[in-house]
Amino acid sequence: MKTSQTSPLVALCGAALSLPAISATQPVQTEMSIKTSSYEERDLSERDVVVGATERYDIDINQFRLLAPVSRAWSLGVDISREIMSGASPWGTVAGVDGEASLIMSGATIREKRTEVSLSATYYGQDASYSVGLIRSEENDYDATAIRLGGEWDKNNGLSTLSLGFSYSSDDIKPTDAETYGRVAKEDKDAVSASVSWTQVLNKASTLQVGAGVTKHSGFLNDPYKLRDVRPDEKLAWNVNLRYRRFFDNQNAALHLDYRYYSDDFGIDSHTFYAAWYKNLGARFQVAPNVRFYSQGASDFYVAVDDYSLPAIENQSTDYRLSSYGAYTFGLKVIFNEINWSVSAGIDHYISSGKYGLSSGKDHPALLSFNMASIGFDLRF
Amino acid sequence: MKIEFVVGLAILLLTSCESVQPWERGTLARPEMQLSRDQLGDALYDQVYYSKEASSGGAGAAGAGCGCN
Repeated sequence: MKTSQTSPLVALCGAALSLPAISATQPVQTEMSIKTSSYEERDLSERDVVVGATERYDIDINQFRLLAPVSRAWSLGVDISREIMSGASPWGTVAGVDGEASLIMSGATIREKRTEVSLSATYYGQDASYSVGLIRSEENDYDATAIRLGGEWDKNNGLSTLSLGFSYSSDDIKPTDAETYGRVAKEDKDAVSASVSWTQVLNKASTLQVGAGVTKHSGFLNDPYKLRDVRPDEKLAWNVNLRYRRFFDNQNAALHLDYRYYSDDFGIDSHTFYAAWYKNLGARFQVAPNVRFYSQGASDFYVAVDDYSLPAIENQSTDYRLSSYGAYTFGLKVIFNEINWSVSAGIDHYISSGKYGLSSGKDHPALLSFNMASIGFDLRF
Repeated sequence: MKIEFVVGLAILLLTSCESVQPWERGTLARPEMQLSRDQLGDALYDQVYYSKEASSGGAGAAGAGCGCN
């Protein structure tokens, strides 16, 4: 049997062995992270587009995170994310000469920015922590303000952790060129969310988290940019999820297995599986190949082609995100660890198709394929 | 896969746990054994999949929405 080498970071963590292994504990150092990512969707085939641009979205994302201990029992956190997006989005579908759905895309290339700032404060008690967070997201046509509350309680001498979370988000929608294209001028929607999870140490080398969440969406849930998109003004969604971590001494590697079941009263249910293998190479390098499989059924009111013969108030949508399909993501991450800093780089490739889903589905012409690449830097001081 | 199978598997695992003393938790404290190895990365994936798929949730209570297409 090989002896696993101990990285400097692990040695640092080893100094805190008396702390519970799975709950949120006050950081002993200030942690700062930055990440820059490039996201590129594959362009559409010209034969699938009746009118409009074939370019899909490209997004440049920059993220910053700071988490600092303050006094003996508090930490403060700041998260900032900035996205610059360009590309075209689907407006609707029509039946082509072969009867199959063809896309009507936005004509000009859209350029947008989104900035999200999140502030959080956490109090650490004897066997519990309590946090509050405020989040603000701004785009030129969409603003969202959210508050998040959370609590964690250690049980069974730190072998179990109960977590509860609540959030409320209030979103304002102001579509661009509303008058020109007959879109709604201003609408709003709310989301109330609650989650609960139980994290359990199974043995010296494995943990399991079992969680559930429910979210109630209310208000204007249509896509205002689509030519005909009518959805119910309320949606109740819930999920059950599992997260398993297991370390293999003989491989000097950790296995991550995640599963989520999702269901909502739009009629969609989905399964998401994720597996990653964090393999240590020497004391400082880590490589993590990973794969994600996602499958969803179609919503009750999804239609392949916009039906203008239906009353304008009757639910219908040609949004590819409401169709039945499956998707795979194949990813690889490389991490270099030093005592007080680390550098990581990752690539991901996402493909989707009606054929990949667990239930039968016809390919929507707007189903996505994208590549994403990221570089990140973490510092503790 | 039926959700009942997954819930049953979770119950089976939870009821088979062992007592682990604080000084035996070194492996569990390793960075790669945390539920999130990369919090910025996980936030990014959550945002991408929230925008491009119909499902969301599973990483605690939801945050702010977006008008992403």
